[in-house]
Amino acid sequence: MSNTDDILWVTQLTLLGNKSAFDKLTCKYQSPIRRFFLNLTVGDAPLSDDLAQETFIKAYLNINSFKGLSGFSTWLYRIAYNVYYDSVRAQKQYADINEYEIDNLHHTQNEFSAEKMDIYKALNLLRKEEQTAVLLFYMEDKTHKEIAKIMDCPLGTVKTYILKGKERLSVYLTKQGYGK
Amino acid sequence: MESKETDKMLKTFFSERKQEIPDNGFTLRVMRKLPEQADRSWIVWIFAAIGMAISMYFGLNSGLVQHTFRLLENIPIYYLLASIFSFPLVGIAGYFFTQNKKYELF
Repeated sequence: MSNTDDILWVTQLTLLGNKSAFDKLTCKYQSPIRRFFLNLTVGDAPLSDDLAQETFIKAYLNINSFKGLSGFSTWLYRIAYNVYYDSVRAQKQYADINEYEIDNLHHTQNEFSAEKMDIYKALNLLRKEEQTAVLLFYMEDKTHKEIAKIMDCPLGTVKTYILKGKERLSVYLTKQGYGK
Repeated sequence: MESKETDKMLKTFFSERKQEIPDNGFTLRVMRKLPEQADRSWIVWIFAAIGMAISMYFGLNSGLVQHTFRLLENIPIYYLLASIFSFPLVGIAGYFFTQNKKYELF
């Protein structure tokens, strides 16, 4: 399914109010968006599903603001990014609770394989912005330009986030025996 | 470590951990939470009617419609019947073709 399908479905939704067109869009993008949240929330599946749901509902309600200048995928990730940072900001009121304890709690609530654990450990070494940029670049195969649009920041800043994230991950992964 | 090597290592690391998340009713849950929107399919009918009216206007004024009817009058009746009866066959064949399924005769 190509970007042309996305445009067709968005047109059907905006012009005709065809809800089933949005069903197709959700079906197509549910996996990448939920994976993106799952990695950002270091494996908190219920939270990532809630955030993904909120993202799709916001996309539906604001579909008229999609101008088609960037791809639908980029536009959707932009909403997802905003939803995530809104949730992070909302959680800051509970900042006195030890984050490490929360992470441990999530880890015990969910089933994690060793392979999944190491990616969350690696991501935990990065700052939130670096995590987002690195995930979008290395896992979701977005270009620097697309990431800049998603994160609404200059191209140079995105490159810096990725570079810094890359350096930290490289040191960690080399210590863990990757890349040998 | 070289930058290219690091890039390669990270690409491999992340792609190995890239999982496809099964839907498991997620889309349905999202669809159920969406607010109702007015059905705007009438727009299609409005445009179709306008298009029809415009084409009829130009068709009648330019004599195209009359010319077409005259042409049809001159076609032998057997040709017309054959084309009318073959129409459903072509439609059914087209339907099976687009369904992309294997149909066995026996």
